[in-house]
Amino acid sequence: MRQAQIIRSNTFQWALAVAGVFAVFVIALFGFIYWQTDQYLIARTDRMIASQLNVFAALPGERQLDAIDDHWRQDSRGVLYAGLFGADGHRIAGNLEQFPPELKKNGSVQSVSVMRSLPAGRDTRVIRAIARRMASGDTLVIGREVDETREISHVVGQALALGLLPALCLCLLAGAWLSMRAQKRVEEVNQRVQRIIAGDLRERLPHRDVDEPFSNLAAIVNGMLDEMETMINALAGVGNDIAHDLRTPLTRARLTLERGRTNASTLEQLQTVVDKAIANIDQSLAIITALLRLAEIENSRRSAAFGSVPLHEMLREICDIYEPIAENKNVELRVETRHRLSVRGDRDLLLEAVANLVDNAIKFTPEGGRVSIELTRGEDETIVRVSDTGCGIGEQEREAVLRRFYRSDKIRSTPGVGLGLNLVAAIVKLHGFRLAIHPGPGGRVEIICPDRQPG
Amino acid sequence: MTKVLLIEDDGETAEEITAELADRGFEVEWSADGIDGLDKARSLRPDAMIVDRLLPGMDGLTVIEALRKDQVRTPVLVLSALGAVDDRVRGLRMGGDDYLTKPFALVELVARVEALLRRPSESRETTLHVGPLELDLIERTAKRGDRVIDLLPREFRLLEYMMQRNDQLLTRAMLLEEVWNYKFVPATNLVDVHMGRLRHKVDGPGETPMIHNVRGAGFILRTGP
Repeated sequence: MRQAQIIRSNTFQWALAVAGVFAVFVIALFGFIYWQTDQYLIARTDRMIASQLNVFAALPGERQLDAIDDHWRQDSRGVLYAGLFGADGHRIAGNLEQFPPELKKNGSVQSVSVMRSLPAGRDTRVIRAIARRMASGDTLVIGREVDETREISHVVGQALALGLLPALCLCLLAGAWLSMRAQKRVEEVNQRVQRIIAGDLRERLPHRDVDEPFSNLAAIVNGMLDEMETMINALAGVGNDIAHDLRTPLTRARLTLERGRTNASTLEQLQTVVDKAIANIDQSLAIITALLRLAEIENSRRSAAFGSVPLHEMLREICDIYEPIAENKNVELRVETRHRLSVRGDRDLLLEAVANLVDNAIKFTPEGGRVSIELTRGEDETIVRVSDTGCGIGEQEREAVLRRFYRSDKIRSTPGVGLGLNLVAAIVKLHGFRLAIHPGPGGRVEIICPDRQPG
Repeated sequence: MTKVLLIEDDGETAEEITAELADRGFEVEWSADGIDGLDKARSLRPDAMIVDRLLPGMDGLTVIEALRKDQVRTPVLVLSALGAVDDRVRGLRMGGDDYLTKPFALVELVARVEALLRRPSESRETTLHVGPLELDLIERTAKRGDRVIDLLPREFRLLEYMMQRNDQLLTRAMLLEEVWNYKFVPATNLVDVHMGRLRHKVDGPGETPMIHNVRGAGFILRTGP
């Protein structure tokens, strides 16, 4: 099973293919070397026997016969051939049994099959030979067996065996090792992923601190898992918050209805009870609506619908809308837009964000106080600032106000759902802007819009 | 009798809506799925339709698109548990139809159906009249009888909207969407504050009140008591 897996694995098959190509290449190389050497040896032999023939042919009769006999008798390796044949073809001297029939007289050096006479009998060899008919009418044959070729092929074969086989084995071993390693890591990743799927979100992929594709991939996936874990934990937190905040009005509604059912004796009393219950249910629904809206904004990728939003006009409009409300509460509402500044964004959402800030500011500013909306320029950024003379947001509360449903203890008595700043933060984040909450005295919240928006 | 077709798969919701609309004098036909609903819309020719967005068989928006392809212009109120930040919903609103997110108050539903049925026609009139009230859209002036009413731009728009829909219940959500162009419900009760100021200007001391607050529902502009 395991072996079969390794053999089927992609890595191993690649190693096998590389080994195959490598082997073919090495064999071709050795073949080429063999062929070149062979050619060289033959050419050298040919030159040698041609010059020997010339030497022998130039010798006078008696000396020639001696020289021919000496020539092959003194050859310890048994590669030299010589023969003198009469005009009728009978052998006069030499170690050739008969004149080779294919050998051309007065031709150049050629390969020819000859019969050699040995003390123990005769054998047939293929040699390089040359023949010349001399003035006497006899034919002189000189030949040589190129036995080095055999040696060379032996050497080449050996070299191949010594070089190629270990290399091939190494290739296969490396392939098997690599694929086994990959298999092992994939198996390990698989096991951990299975654990993650099973719900263990703290599990991470194995990751070594080296610059290697597999480790890099693991690091990327781990980063993604970190983000997901944070999100899921946040979600779980939200779930608890929702449960808590929904329970309060629902409990009130339930108690009201329960008591009303027992105690109400007139239609009027019953209607009062029902009205109270409906108000509490509406409060729960408002929470759900606010949450859905928040999710909608957080999940939306609406940047395609972004356009140029003239902030000065928008702030004046908000001031218009909230002026009567501020006045009712005896709070002064001022807008200061010295510049005409525009940013890229979704007008409706930005209006919602700033309106939320202004709404909050008016709500938390005591009578006789002041709320001001300012539009200014910072360094490479446009700033919308909403400040008030209210209680402000304490140092330790700054993080908390961005949490869902957080309502400062100081303001528990003020009605509201407690998701306003979350909405503002989500909208600001969607635009690539920044939200800055400054410490008191007085509240001061800024939406900072950099000129170069990221993304 | 005004005929309304309701396409809604939840029986209990449908029952409540049907009962409420019947009380208000509507004739209601109910269909529980998209395909049957589309058939009924073609054969019964209702005056208005209330369509749930998620329906078995065929989803609500597809039903409406199919009807529009057949040149059926019946106004539609779409009900949905999904939020309204959606291009298809924006398309609906541009086409004169309306969209209501679940859960909703029955008062809100009825007010919106009535608003759909009584959409103000595209009139060329430049002066609006309701009882003693007179609104000049060119000069941007308002008068009650001989008394000139001094209005801020947004108050003018609010009064204009209400005069175009006199005798009709206008909910806070409708006013926010149409007059303030708000796509969200603000925490503070904006509409009440602005309406309070407008009422103060329109209904002077000793005059018969014209702007009425319908408790828990919204506002209505009418000449009678």
